[in-house]
Amino acid sequence: MQKKILEFTNLLRKSGVRVSVAEAIDAFKALDVLSLDERAVFRDALRSSMVKRSDDIQTYDQLFDLFWSGFYDNLRDAFENMAGDLEAQGIDLDQLMRMLQEQLEKLEPGSLDLSELARALLTADLSQLEQLIREAGEQAGVSRIENLLQIGFFSRRMMERMNAEGAAQELRDLAERLRAQGLSDDQVEAIRGLADRLLEALRRSIRSFTERELQKQNYDYMERFRRETLTEKSFYHLTEDEIRQMREVVTRLAQRIKSVLSIRRRRLKKGKLDLHTTLRRNMARGGVPFEVAFKHRKKDRPKLVILCDVSSSVANVSRFMLQFVYSLQEAFTKIRSFVFVSELGEVTQVFRDHDISEAIEKALDGGDVINVYTRSNFGQAFHCFWQNHLSAVDKRTTVLVLGDARNNYNDPRAWCLREVKNKAKNLVWLNPESPGAWGFGDSVMDKYLPSCDVAEECRNLRQLSKVVDRLVL
Amino acid sequence: MFESIESVQRRLGEQGYICGKNIATVVYLAYRLEKPVLVEGPAGVGKTELAKVVAEATGRPLIRLQCYEGLDEAKALYEWEYSKQLLYTQILKEKFSEVMAGAKTLREAADRIGAEDSIFFSDRFIVPRPLLRAITSPSPALLLVDEVDKSDPEFEAFLLEVLSDFQVTVPEVGTFSAKVRPLVFLTSNDAREMTDALKRRCLHLYIDFPTEAEEIRILDVKVPGIDRRLAEDLVGVMQRLRKLDLKKAPSISETLDWARALLALNATQIDEELVRETLNVILKYEGDIRKAHSELGRLIVRKAEPPKPAAPEGKPAAPAAAQPAGPATPEPPKKGTLH
Repeated sequence: MQKKILEFTNLLRKSGVRVSVAEAIDAFKALDVLSLDERAVFRDALRSSMVKRSDDIQTYDQLFDLFWSGFYDNLRDAFENMAGDLEAQGIDLDQLMRMLQEQLEKLEPGSLDLSELARALLTADLSQLEQLIREAGEQAGVSRIENLLQIGFFSRRMMERMNAEGAAQELRDLAERLRAQGLSDDQVEAIRGLADRLLEALRRSIRSFTERELQKQNYDYMERFRRETLTEKSFYHLTEDEIRQMREVVTRLAQRIKSVLSIRRRRLKKGKLDLHTTLRRNMARGGVPFEVAFKHRKKDRPKLVILCDVSSSVANVSRFMLQFVYSLQEAFTKIRSFVFVSELGEVTQVFRDHDISEAIEKALDGGDVINVYTRSNFGQAFHCFWQNHLSAVDKRTTVLVLGDARNNYNDPRAWCLREVKNKAKNLVWLNPESPGAWGFGDSVMDKYLPSCDVAEECRNLRQLSKVVDRLVL
Repeated sequence: MFESIESVQRRLGEQGYICGKNIATVVYLAYRLEKPVLVEGPAGVGKTELAKVVAEATGRPLIRLQCYEGLDEAKALYEWEYSKQLLYTQILKEKFSEVMAGAKTLREAADRIGAEDSIFFSDRFIVPRPLLRAITSPSPALLLVDEVDKSDPEFEAFLLEVLSDFQVTVPEVGTFSAKVRPLVFLTSNDAREMTDALKRRCLHLYIDFPTEAEEIRILDVKVPGIDRRLAEDLVGVMQRLRKLDLKKAPSISETLDWARALLALNATQIDEELVRETLNVILKYEGDIRKAHSELGRLIVRKAEPPKPAAPEGKPAAPAAAQPAGPATPEPPKKGTLH
């Protein structure tokens, strides 16, 4: 049992769940004080001592099921199937077994020398079989399995280790001996048939055993693959479902920005001596300043102004970016969000009033905020911002522009952006196109570049989270 | 005190706390292994309540530490009682001169005072805050560190010493170790991921929204006198509400509030209008309420009425009859019944 728990711990670690040695020891301690006849209790005890992040609970539950159960069920299924097959042929397995047992008892004691496996097969002792299969699996090193192609190899190897052929032969020999005892040909034939079928059932169980092993070992791989592909995937090619998953990740990202910022704020807390508060606080001690109070420095709550391009050329990206903007807006109080194609419209209030999907629909749907069915014109949008909303920008403001700078050969009016930059703390541009394409075709990114403090390619989640880190630190 | 998982479940049940086996298992383990428990889960599923009820069931005093941003050791661990020290020096002034009488040199006087200075930094002048109180409590206590995720990361570091060794170090005095280890519950709403160091020292318990059957049982216990059918319908609505994409999914406390509200309104069955009027009891955001309104039809799914072949046109006459006689007129049966 101990060994199995350690094995399970290793499996958890392999799947990215962090389990320290101390925690594994805790698990053992927990099992010591519990009675383990109930599966759910066992699972909860292990979970509470080894899995501490709620994100990992799902992984744990799935691995637990894979690891601690199921194989016995597989084994039972295989043997039940076999019984079903026999029944279809008009043979009653129970009856056959009973007949066999009777005949065996008639044999002189001691003359029956069967291997463990043959005995387990004969009596259909499933738990003994499970034990044997697990042992064989260990000997064959099945935990090293890596891909589908190896299933056959390992299954064969396990069969060899168990000497399955030998056991089948033993059963056939037994049938011959029983014939000598005066069993009818039909009965002997039935027993021989049974031996073949038992062997087949065993082979199937072993195969399912290796398959499960592969699943276990690969769980992490598949999971990670799924997650990684998501973070790497370009925003341009997201499916509905992925967008939904993305949303969770983005929300977490925004949450992280917020928590990082609040830490920063706290570090700045100690300021000048606050005489007033200090005196008041120490009146009880005759004015002796035992406890000093400091003036809190003004909280450095960053302001954010976001300009998001929602033209059709970046349709998928902008939907995603708006999600990001929305999440940011939930995390910050001082934030103003604008969307543009050729005209510019503020969506701060829209985002505040509606829930996320509705808000994004409203921002993207033509007519409500701005007309999105025109061709993008960054110059005009920036000019409009400069003209009407420049007051939103001050020394503490970070301006975030999200867009591809494909200007349809309009006047870029880069000076507007420069003016904005001069007023702001910094200006960050996130462009879904790679830097190689900046300035080619109708892209005017090169014109805007001098006005940006940071200009980054931002095409997938990984890049976005990198930018976010730079943004807040 | 707790002999088995079942006894945990039973004794918490006696206190009116219905819990599944998973919760009971962790509580039992915490009790047997003397390990702290970190309880996580959505707001309002009874994390704090669990600690209170365990204190109640084990007869331990509950020592509560509410965490918030800026909580420091002076408020959580201990504090020197400056004014008392000051007062004592004033009063003992004469004694000091006695002690110092006869001292020939300044050095000698200082040495004599120095020999006595431990009286000023002794337990006498320490105000124990919750953590220290839990450690020094002569009888086993239950320490509840509520909403630990709201505290600062630095504060977690203080907690570590307490949680792993059950001791508190006061530099001037020394280390206080627990004579009897307190049972510790930490609750977190996941506003911030706790550090691994903290998690490693705790058992972890995740309390999720209850299942339908559990929630009905909770209602039975907490809101006595609620009609069984009403409880079932109400819980059904809540369970479906939680499946909607809401900003804040309603939890058990909202279910209880709502049940009490419906009782106060003498409602006997849930219909669309009633839900529409009382939705603000369970949903706290304007957007959520609007969303729920638009989904109202789907939220209220009547379970198949118990077959009453006698009642024509499926009029729900049964609930009206079941209602206790009172001044409130039963609602007209045809109003707003959904099928």
